[in-house]
Amino acid sequence: MGKVKALVVDDSKIMRSAVKRALDQLMLADFEYVEAMDGQDALNKFNDEIQIMFVDWNMPNMTGVEFSRTVRDQGGNDHIPIIMVTAEKSMGKVDKALNEGGANEYITKPFTADKMHKTISRYFDDEGNIVGEECEEEEEKSFFQSILKS
Amino acid sequence: MIPKSLIDVHEIPAEITGLVKESVINTFASIIGSEPDYVEQSEQASSLNGIIGNIAVFNQHHTLSLMIVIPRETALKLSEIFIGVEIPFESDDMGDLVGEISNILAGDVAANVETVGFRGQSSLPTATRGSDLTLFLPNKPPTEKMKFTGFSGDFWVNMALSESR
Repeated sequence: MGKVKALVVDDSKIMRSAVKRALDQLMLADFEYVEAMDGQDALNKFNDEIQIMFVDWNMPNMTGVEFSRTVRDQGGNDHIPIIMVTAEKSMGKVDKALNEGGANEYITKPFTADKMHKTISRYFDDEGNIVGEECEEEEEKSFFQSILKS
Repeated sequence: MIPKSLIDVHEIPAEITGLVKESVINTFASIIGSEPDYVEQSEQASSLNGIIGNIAVFNQHHTLSLMIVIPRETALKLSEIFIGVEIPFESDDMGDLVGEISNILAGDVAANVETVGFRGQSSLPTATRGSDLTLFLPNKPPTEKMKFTGFSGDFWVNMALSESR
């Protein structure tokens, strides 16, 4: 199964554990976790090894939407899925997270493993890799190959 | 629907209390798997050995403060259901859990009361644990106390509506 490095951001240790437990239950990939307790902590821990992110909204220091927007504004990471995992439910909030924040998906608390699966399974292939990374790698390879041939 | 000044408002509008009640039932149903029952005209216990989650839904005009009052035994059962294992009542994790339950409730309340024109955001939750606790609600802002009983035990949700400052 493919190894996937996931950033889990929530000021609640219990919720971070709940997210990890649900992901481990799903067995979509062999997850390695990096945990952060607020948006600022997540920003400090975010790097190009992170392949998927699960982000709460209401946190001290920096909210999940602010973190998501800041990461997207850095550029070069649109291929990394950001999943908002939050108690916020109103349509305006969903819209804000997806459009302003640049998140890809939205899942409300409390969630079941089944709900998590329905939300994120499309980001994984059968080998447990994040979908989209392989496509990018193939495109890069063929690009360099075409340079070498010319 | 809520006038900006609450000077002449002595009760929280029934529409708001009804929606909060609905949110409490939905939230705890989604956590424990069955709907708790609202208990009509109940009195709060005079002293509490338990844990209280505090959170608010607020906008620039009004603040709806929520206090989730959970006796010790109910809190222990909730932890077993939510996490899969009973966590020590005296632990930091228990405070974290009650804070998170408060957070989930406030999210549902905020979405619900928005449908009647109260558009607000949730505050960050806090939790207080203790024994022989007595709860005081302010006299001036309109307040409401609600008792629920369910699979996990009894709990209360108190609320107060005030003008934001």
